[in-house]
Amino acid sequence: MAATPIPLEAKGIKKRFGDHEVLKGISLQAHKGDVITLIGASGSGKSTFLRCMNLLEQPDEGELIVHNEAINFRTTKQGREPADWKQVERIRAKLSMVFQNFNLWSHMTLLENVIEAPVHVLGKPRKQAIDEARALLDRVGLLDRADYYPTQMSGGQQQRGAIARALAMDPEVMLFDEPTSALDPELVGDVLQVMRGLADEGRTMILVTHEIAFARDVSSQVIYLHQGVVEESGTPADVLDNPRSERLRQFLAPKH
Amino acid sequence: MIDLQGYGPRLLEGAMVTIELAVLSLILAVILGLLTASAKLSRNRLIHGIGTLYTTLVRGVPDLVLMMLLFYGGQIGINMLTDQLYYAFDIDIFININAFVAGVITIGLIFGAYMGETFRGAFQAVEEGQMEAARAYGMSPLLAFRRVRFPLMMRHALPGIGNNWMVLLKTTALVSIIGLTDMVRVAAEATKATHEPFLFMIPVAMIYLLIATLSEWGFAKLTKRYNTGFGESSEWNN
Repeated sequence: MAATPIPLEAKGIKKRFGDHEVLKGISLQAHKGDVITLIGASGSGKSTFLRCMNLLEQPDEGELIVHNEAINFRTTKQGREPADWKQVERIRAKLSMVFQNFNLWSHMTLLENVIEAPVHVLGKPRKQAIDEARALLDRVGLLDRADYYPTQMSGGQQQRGAIARALAMDPEVMLFDEPTSALDPELVGDVLQVMRGLADEGRTMILVTHEIAFARDVSSQVIYLHQGVVEESGTPADVLDNPRSERLRQFLAPKH
Repeated sequence: MIDLQGYGPRLLEGAMVTIELAVLSLILAVILGLLTASAKLSRNRLIHGIGTLYTTLVRGVPDLVLMMLLFYGGQIGINMLTDQLYYAFDIDIFININAFVAGVITIGLIFGAYMGETFRGAFQAVEEGQMEAARAYGMSPLLAFRRVRFPLMMRHALPGIGNNWMVLLKTTALVSIIGLTDMVRVAAEATKATHEPFLFMIPVAMIYLLIATLSEWGFAKLTKRYNTGFGESSEWNN
């Protein structure tokens, strides 16, 4: 029996900004249906690592394999870069990202945001894209906001809209970069509820977050990063409830 | 009705020349402006240098001097080239720089530099997250420019483009110096013949004003279009 392809695999990712080495060789394997949560203090490299996976940042070393396809790199005077940007574009279309600051396109309505990449990147017929987009907006509770512009919506609504935009690509893996960090506390719940629904239906997700309780609930694996190194990794029970290192214990201790 | 002493049709023809010249120059200036802005934002030092050299040169030399240089100097340059072709390969061609083409190229070149500065500021005013989302969703650089950066940039660029257009429109009057029969030249000839400056210069001024007023209306429409999604009273505050 042929092994099912692994949606996303990163091997030995290293990244430096100037003299500062942010990632010192990090690996990760996301199997189908995995929800992998990256936690760590700010500056630990967790967001940089996530951004390396869809090549918004170029890793200096290491391999990326998406659905059995390895990304080709070449080395130039400026450093390492992807050898084939068409390949990068194709791979990015399979890895939808949800940003901390939503980044919905501000000159488009919510509906236009959701159909934009399916129509212009995947080449879906507009009519079909609109039907699918409306179903997704209904699912995140925003069907009545379809014709609103991002500035006319609350942060929580924008982020749920951004999740609908991500889902419209029917992605192999969803990447969440601190999706609730820019939200007022009372708006966090709605967004987490939508994300919990995605985890429950078996979406493959990689998530950077500070919401430890949520991570405990939904994750299949938790990775604790410290200064660009994986300090602890395992099930939520292992990592969050029985931390081995003093540093992780301190990180998890309630803040006053 | 004012009696234009038979100069009416020629004045209208002149006005058409002015409008054609202005519109074609604007198109050239916008294209050059976009290229210049991209060049000046490029990390490639050579490309950046070419962009800077162009804007510095053009903005530092009077429009009239540039126009004369291009019209007379350009003709001499082309003549030298065609002479060489004749001596070396026995190819006999003669290219005459047409005053209209020279006018469009000169005005386009001049305002391309100003547009470049306008577009550069506007490019930089686009929030980086907007382009990052475009890249993250698999858009090619060209698609991301067309669907995201350009429409967002226009909002910031339009006031500057409008301003440049008004100045450009009036700069077209300079072409009468290189022998192009725009409406200013027609009016000047008519004035010489009849000694009635007001009779011809006031209609010319009115036509410029009319074009300017129509343009302002057009720019207001465009501004409204590129501002959709911004500045509406937010029903919700995060």
